[in-house]
Amino acid sequence: MAAKEPPFFIGWGKMPAALRDFTIGIGLGLVVLLALAGFMVAATQNDPGDGAVLGGAAAVGVLEAAPYPVLHVTDSESFAAGTALLLSGVGKRGVEDRAGSLDGKLVAVKGVRLARGEIEGVQVSPGADGMVEADGAAARPVAADLGRWRITGEICDGKCLNGAMRPGTGLAHKACANLCLIGGAPPVFVATGRVDGAEFFLLGNADGGPVTQEVLDHTAVLVEAEGRVERRGGIHVFLIDPASVRLAR
Amino acid sequence: MSVRYVPVQWNRIKWVYDGLLVAGVLAYLVAFLQIGAGMADATRPVDGAILRMRAFGSCAFFLLTVILCIGPLARLDRRFLPLLYNRRHFGVVTFAVALTHAAYVLGWYFAYAPTPPVAALLSSNTSYGTALGFPFEALGAFALVVLALLAATSHDFWLSFLTAPVWKALHLMIYPAYAALVAHVALGYLQDVDNPAFAILFGGGALAVAGLHAAAALEGRREARSAGTWVAVCAPGEIADKRARIVRLPDGDRAAVFRNGARVSAISNACAHQNGPLGEGRIVFGCVTCPWHGYQYRMEDGCSPPPFTEKVPTYNLRLRDGVIEIDARANAPGTPVPPLDVAGMI
Repeated sequence: MAAKEPPFFIGWGKMPAALRDFTIGIGLGLVVLLALAGFMVAATQNDPGDGAVLGGAAAVGVLEAAPYPVLHVTDSESFAAGTALLLSGVGKRGVEDRAGSLDGKLVAVKGVRLARGEIEGVQVSPGADGMVEADGAAARPVAADLGRWRITGEICDGKCLNGAMRPGTGLAHKACANLCLIGGAPPVFVATGRVDGAEFFLLGNADGGPVTQEVLDHTAVLVEAEGRVERRGGIHVFLIDPASVRLAR
Repeated sequence: MSVRYVPVQWNRIKWVYDGLLVAGVLAYLVAFLQIGAGMADATRPVDGAILRMRAFGSCAFFLLTVILCIGPLARLDRRFLPLLYNRRHFGVVTFAVALTHAAYVLGWYFAYAPTPPVAALLSSNTSYGTALGFPFEALGAFALVVLALLAATSHDFWLSFLTAPVWKALHLMIYPAYAALVAHVALGYLQDVDNPAFAILFGGGALAVAGLHAAAALEGRREARSAGTWVAVCAPGEIADKRARIVRLPDGDRAAVFRNGARVSAISNACAHQNGPLGEGRIVFGCVTCPWHGYQYRMEDGCSPPPFTEKVPTYNLRLRDGVIEIDARANAPGTPVPPLDVAGMI
């Protein structure tokens, strides 16, 4: 007996009943499969961490401009005295241009609070009162030299990492991190292990200034870097030799 | 078939097809954004913009994967041909979903910077020499540009304007676009996160596309290529009534030898519309009918019945020792050729 031929489909004609049932079944099956796929992919996403934008904040403290602007808090309702705040501008920008003339001075900062675990920061308001010299005087913290270290970790931009984006780390975020660093946001080294109890390090160049463009090739991936570590009040600074940065083995 | 261009030649099948398509896209997005995301193990939720770029991006990948599975599935099992009928709408919807993904990426990762978003996308990461940290965004941008080109030229006007071979060649760019998309995902999101469900679905989808195309190609290689001017086809009785035998000619072209009762004729296997496989169609209302979109041709002269104007090449046939032979030299499209009379041989 000859095998039964499948019905022939013509788009402009009437669809044979057997083919119609098969096609509708495939179509509905695809709808269900897509729904299941969407649910499964979404429900198994990684934890993006606890970085967050926490509303408006103000603080007075000693401003340290290099390698990137940091405010060592002396007085604030939002932050404990001694907290080091990473300062960034609105969008993918830094505040070096505003901070340069205020280095070592007592400064009042207003803006939006960013926080992730042990690190704190402020996105400085763009207005004239966002960052102004305050009355009085205070000394910047004495830097404690912790020696040379080779540390494994990820180079991130300190603004997105700190809660401006969630997640603000990883390969998908690499180009965004580079844009932030190009714009002057402070780079942060997130170590896989702790050094002097610290997991997060403000990055700088070996000469104490901002990092060089070479660092952009090493963001968002696990790398090893070598340099001098200093503890400056409430923050650790990792002053790296750019040539020492390489993919972690 | 149509004698004039309209935006869409709607019919009931297309309405149902598009309804299921939109339902599938909405089901994916709702399941992702409204149900699945809330059940993820997260200290704080993923940013809304990042969540949406993930939802639309992964949705576009899965849609394109399904689109590319339809062709070989229809070659291997003709019951899948109805899925192919309205595949262009599938492609346009996929482009719209992919464009939404790109809009979220540009509006979040590449906005708020001194550099304009598109320039920032192409210039902020230049690590082209390494797989880890490769600027995968450029691969996605390439795939999106191809999808845009194909969506913009998906209408029959462009098919007629460009001619079927050029249009077909243009739309074969979907394969490099899919390869770029696979690399875009593999070098980006897949390396970035530990998401087993996505890894399994992504790998399974890409393997399904590759596997089905390999299976369909193997099926096609069963047609032996012949040599010489006159090529033996088969005995008339070996061709089922109102069906065809496809023969691969020395120059690589394929001809479809149709039998309609006691008459046998040969025309090109490539439909003038989208190069669909005419030899896999049937004779309906006296005309060869393409299995892809129902375009019709008279088997005696390769012309569509009036008022339609499509034409395909015809071939001369002869009988030798009870075997049909085909002249490998094609006649100009629309050339009448008297059918071979095979009465008493079937």
